[in-house]
Amino acid sequence: MNRFLIILGIIAVVFVAAPLVIVIPMSFSNARSLQFPPPGYGWGYYEAYFTDMRWLRPTYNSLIIAAGTTVLTMILVVPATFALVRHRFAGKSIADIMLLMPLAVPHIVMAVGYYSFFGAFGLVQTHLGVILAHTCLSVPIAFLVLSANLKGFDRTLERAAQSLGASPWRTFIHITLPILKPGLIISALFAFVQSFDETVVAIFISGRNAATLPRKMFDSIRQEADPVIAVVSTLLFVLVLIGIVAPPLWAAIRARIKAPSALSTIEKRP
Amino acid sequence: MTSYLQLTGISKAYGDVTALSKVDLSVEKGEFVTFLGPSGSGKTTTLMIIAGFEKATTGDVLIGGHSISAMAPHERNIGIVFQNYGLFPHKTAIENVYFPLQMRDMNRANGLKKAADMLGLVGLMGLGDRYPKELSGGQQQRVALARALVFEPSLLLLDEPLGALDKNLREQMQIEIKRIQRALGVTTIFVTHDQTEAMSMSDRIVVFDAGRIQQVATPLDIYHKPEARFVAGFIGESNLIEAVVVDPDKRTASSAALGEVEFAPTEKAMQGRPVTLMIRPEHMRLSRNPIEGRRNARMTIETIVNYGDNALVIGNVGGKHGSMPMRVRVLGADVVILKEGDECSVSWMPEAVYLIAS
Repeated sequence: MNRFLIILGIIAVVFVAAPLVIVIPMSFSNARSLQFPPPGYGWGYYEAYFTDMRWLRPTYNSLIIAAGTTVLTMILVVPATFALVRHRFAGKSIADIMLLMPLAVPHIVMAVGYYSFFGAFGLVQTHLGVILAHTCLSVPIAFLVLSANLKGFDRTLERAAQSLGASPWRTFIHITLPILKPGLIISALFAFVQSFDETVVAIFISGRNAATLPRKMFDSIRQEADPVIAVVSTLLFVLVLIGIVAPPLWAAIRARIKAPSALSTIEKRP
Repeated sequence: MTSYLQLTGISKAYGDVTALSKVDLSVEKGEFVTFLGPSGSGKTTTLMIIAGFEKATTGDVLIGGHSISAMAPHERNIGIVFQNYGLFPHKTAIENVYFPLQMRDMNRANGLKKAADMLGLVGLMGLGDRYPKELSGGQQQRVALARALVFEPSLLLLDEPLGALDKNLREQMQIEIKRIQRALGVTTIFVTHDQTEAMSMSDRIVVFDAGRIQQVATPLDIYHKPEARFVAGFIGESNLIEAVVVDPDKRTASSAALGEVEFAPTEKAMQGRPVTLMIRPEHMRLSRNPIEGRRNARMTIETIVNYGDNALVIGNVGGKHGSMPMRVRVLGADVVILKEGDECSVSWMPEAVYLIAS
């Protein structure tokens, strides 16, 4: 029974990981199109990626759009979350539903909507247009993450700070914000990743000028099956891996080398 | 001469629900006053009104003769220890204690020195670099206390701070809090629903029930001279007998279960007045046969609750007109000869029968 479960587990892991693993050797391939197993190996397509503006431009676009989306999302979501989690007001439940709506509506429907709507404002094929559309998609995700964090926040801490002489503003800066920091970072990260990954809306409205990386990959695989896609995939995979592994690693390192602070020297004075 | 802290006519209503009605209280400088009452009695609401986190519907709070009702919580200079301590998880113990000084723009070096001294006073020398989660419950409690005292508050409020601690630690902290409070001479209000805590720590106890102050008195007076039936029932064990005064001069009242009962001298007895008579279990004695010189009644033992050093014997006393449960405190050494179901005689002195006008 036990052995059976272990084997089942291994099969599941292999099944999930296989597409990722196949992409990596393919990125070092020297074949003319996507092919597995690769006939030979080389760095050719990495060189192609880093020198070809047709790939670098969308990468740059994606970074700009994801960064803009993240900033705009957080500007909207932080006050909205505080209002919706902490206060009761008329129309609150409607605001709640409206905020989560983009999660329920299929992206393709949203994309068609943006295409015709933004067309009227001249926003199609612009960075701003894609940022606005992506923000709508990121807001519910960022809101869900942050509101879960805020609901778990012990408000006694804010009362304690105020009883100790902190004005509401200083309480927010010294207590609320630092304690919510991990939640804010994760919330922002989700907004960034959602924008960076988003394909459907990008295909509709990013056009040539603001083409994002996923859009370029989609075009490329449809037209030429250029193995550079495997390179991009591998790079993205490595980036995400670093994103997941780095924070706990950094925390571990910091805990290890935590130098005795100035406080302890004062306190241990006889 | 006005008192240091004054509450005048404080009421609090949430919509139609009255949480507090007409609370008047004076507290002297340096006094340790306990708010005692069951949950929902208004004691915490009163505390939060003093702290500024709740707004009173009517009434005023004065410290040193000046109204603080219009001040925001952070302007009041009142130290609070919360039930769950409210320590800042992202700050070390010493940074927590330094925080109120930082908010008062004290120079960092001086502030940290003062915070370290305060940690020393509460017995946490050398633990300043620990984060709250690295400290035990009792240590967290001490940090919270140090943090609430370091800025020399005009008032210290303790909101059921010992609730989360186990019994031994709780007793230790009761002594600690009293020691520190005396050392600093800070006027303190302590909220609890634990009567032994209130009895052992307070200069005076304020008993709350149903949004009203029932009695304000020293612990001994609260115990021996309760002014309300609720106070008698809430503090300590007691036998409460419903009766009607028959003759104020002979000090007799009549009750269904015990017939005519003689009570201790009092000015509250008026003929025909319905009253409650209180006899504390430790003022009663059990014996095989009635004891001469004492008032006796027959009792059937129903339950014996053994505490080791003493036991509480609960029995039934009554005649043809009615019966009532009676609680008798018995020394641990004497309880071995008693059995549930035994018939015996329960006796008391008339001086032990305290009349409560109700």
